Amino acid sequence: MTEDQTLLHDASDRYLRDSYDFNARRERIALGVYTDPQHWRAFAEMGWLALPVPENFDGLGLGTRECAILAELCGQYLITEPLIDVLAAVSTLIAPSPHAERWLGQVVGGELITVAGIDEGAGQRSKSPSTKLTQVDSGWRLTGTKQWINAGPSATHFIVLATVEEGLAWVICPRDAAGVDCEDFPTHDGRGGTNCAFNTAIEENQILLSGAPAQSALDAYRELAMILSSAETLGAAHAALDTTVEYTKQRVQFGQPLSSFQALQHRMANMLIQIELTRSLVYAACDAADGDTPDQSRFARAAKVKASSVGRKVSQEAIQLHGGIATTDEYIVGHFFKRITALDSWVCSRGEALKEFMALSG
Amino acid sequence: MNASNPYPGDYSAFRESVREFLAVGLTPELARAGERTTSVFSDFEAGRQWQSILHAKGWGAPEWPLEHGGTGWDIQQRYIFLEECRLANAPNPVMMGVQMLGPMLMHFGTEAQKSAYLPGIISGDDVWCQGYSEPGSGSDLASLKTTADRDGDEYVVNGTKIWTSMAHYANWIFCLVRTDKSVKPQAGISFLLIDMATPGITVTPFSSLDGEIEQCQVFFEDARVPVSNLLGEENQGWTVAKYLLEFERGGQHFTIDLKKQLRKLRRLIGSEANAAAEDPTFVYRIAETEIDVMALEQTELRIKGTVAAGEHPGALSSLVKVSGTELGQQCAELLIEAAGQGAMPWQSEVLSPEYEGPTAAPEECVTTMAEYINSRSTTIYGGTAEIQRGIIAKHVLGL
Repeated sequence: MTEDQTLLHDASDRYLRDSYDFNARRERIALGVYTDPQHWRAFAEMGWLALPVPENFDGLGLGTRECAILAELCGQYLITEPLIDVLAAVSTLIAPSPHAERWLGQVVGGELITVAGIDEGAGQRSKSPSTKLTQVDSGWRLTGTKQWINAGPSATHFIVLATVEEGLAWVICPRDAAGVDCEDFPTHDGRGGTNCAFNTAIEENQILLSGAPAQSALDAYRELAMILSSAETLGAAHAALDTTVEYTKQRVQFGQPLSSFQALQHRMANMLIQIELTRSLVYAACDAADGDTPDQSRFARAAKVKASSVGRKVSQEAIQLHGGIATTDEYIVGHFFKRITALDSWVCSRGEALKEFMALSG
Repeated sequence: MNASNPYPGDYSAFRESVREFLAVGLTPELARAGERTTSVFSDFEAGRQWQSILHAKGWGAPEWPLEHGGTGWDIQQRYIFLEECRLANAPNPVMMGVQMLGPMLMHFGTEAQKSAYLPGIISGDDVWCQGYSEPGSGSDLASLKTTADRDGDEYVVNGTKIWTSMAHYANWIFCLVRTDKSVKPQAGISFLLIDMATPGITVTPFSSLDGEIEQCQVFFEDARVPVSNLLGEENQGWTVAKYLLEFERGGQHFTIDLKKQLRKLRRLIGSEANAAAEDPTFVYRIAETEIDVMALEQTELRIKGTVAAGEHPGALSSLVKVSGTELGQQCAELLIEAAGQGAMPWQSEVLSPEYEGPTAAPEECVTTMAEYINSRSTTIYGGTAEIQRGIIAKHVLGL
């Protein structure tokens, strides 16, 4: 890490360690509050939401590596607020829009929380959404349904992927607009989800991108989402390992701490080995993206495949090595397990990433 | 060049100079010996010849300091040199002298020892083997029983060493011997340099699983060794050995060879109607292995960055050893699956660089099975994978 990156990490880590309490999180989730307004305001004040926003829009103009630092901390502290979702959307869907100026200020200030809506049901991803943006006499109309929008209940706005005459379009739409019918539901990772039906009027400046730029924005969004979900998985997996190591040192059975048993030591060593290998690949994917190198797409997919496999294995092992306590909802380690599982299928699954990696490898 | 390379500097001229040297110095016979290498050792004579060519060029020991005949190259230059040698199929000289004993001698040796032994090591005129393991002492090395009893200006050595690679070619052996039985095991060990021509030493070579002879057992029966051949102080041998084990683990670069294996795999399944290529699950396994190799490569780069910054990579070296050797085994396994029955013929003479006759296996597969068989030992020598995991558990996780 560079000196600035270390500063960013340390300051962010300090905030989350001091104020992001696991028990408060549990109580909040039980009430269906997935974004704590105080936390989100703090995120904005610390400049987190401005991280990838270009400097000419009063942002910090920082790269993927810096976003990944925050993503890793999101995993470590089990952040339920849609930080990686917003960072990915801001960087790839809003900033490149001709209407960026209209929206960015509010996003950076924290008043507007927006996540992307892509999925339309099982097996359907992005290639040809049935949600449509059509021209009508008075302007534009968005019609269709988006399903399983992760962190949807936290959003004030959705950025919806739709089909338009010239191909794809990204349309930003307030969730409280007339003709937007949302149904929220709780999720296993504590962030909530939303199904949303749209039959609503759209103004010109809500159409962020359309045609070829919308297609490349989709590619960029997916790629950034792969990297940030890998980084969050990495943070969660490492935290799960740390928790496991500490627990096995405390827990006494057969008259000795669990950590003294070699069978368990080697399993924890394996967890560490795989986590460190994943870390190398995730950081390399960030550097490839920030360096705009020709292999960046390959690296993003490799990172996603590796992080997903390792995250799954490590979080399963974390539960097993703890024993019964890890199967209770009061204990933290199962929550790493659940968040890692959710991240696996967010935007691009491990399987999709692997297939795309193979296609890129020729 | 990779995005994460800690060396953004321009090394292209250096790389070009290495390539120019290899184009002339590495004869087709030597490259053939390199290509037909099935373990860490190439054909002995070819390796020896290559060491003398490197030495003549001044590149006999790239990692050593200049004053002892090293190159003064930085870590990236050394990496480039290694990479180019591997890609050009240069054979591996017997490396126990240059890579292991050399650094020990420079660190612990007297001036007289340095001037007596270093020149022979770097020129390749002396061939050193490593006398550590014993039949009863493998991972628990400190339990070793070979004794060296002081008698005037000499030690009298009795006992036996095993897994002594290339001892049948070596004229010197560096040994861990017990000089004090009354203290705890580690505290009674000394490090001795022993001339293999000493009366009382016999060498018994034995075949490895692939039918080749690299391993030996060495027997000592009242072998008399001058006290001046002690490296470090008496009973300080464990300290010396630990430094060596660390050296053996540090700075390893597995991915150069792993990427070679993957390229070979791609060639194999890309050729004609390869049965394995028809199996979609096989193709997925290759892709997953490629991703694991990318992760390892980036980890090796991280370590290089750490070393370049003057820091110690610590247990990251153990991590690389475990992962690198296990991935090597995985690649070797994929290769025999891709080769199918084509990997089965056993034709020892093919491995000789002089051999020009027909091969029973397809050209691409002549070494495949032997490489697979020998890959099993990579997680055993130099500290087993279990020992490495123990190191990680203890030193990183604090268990």
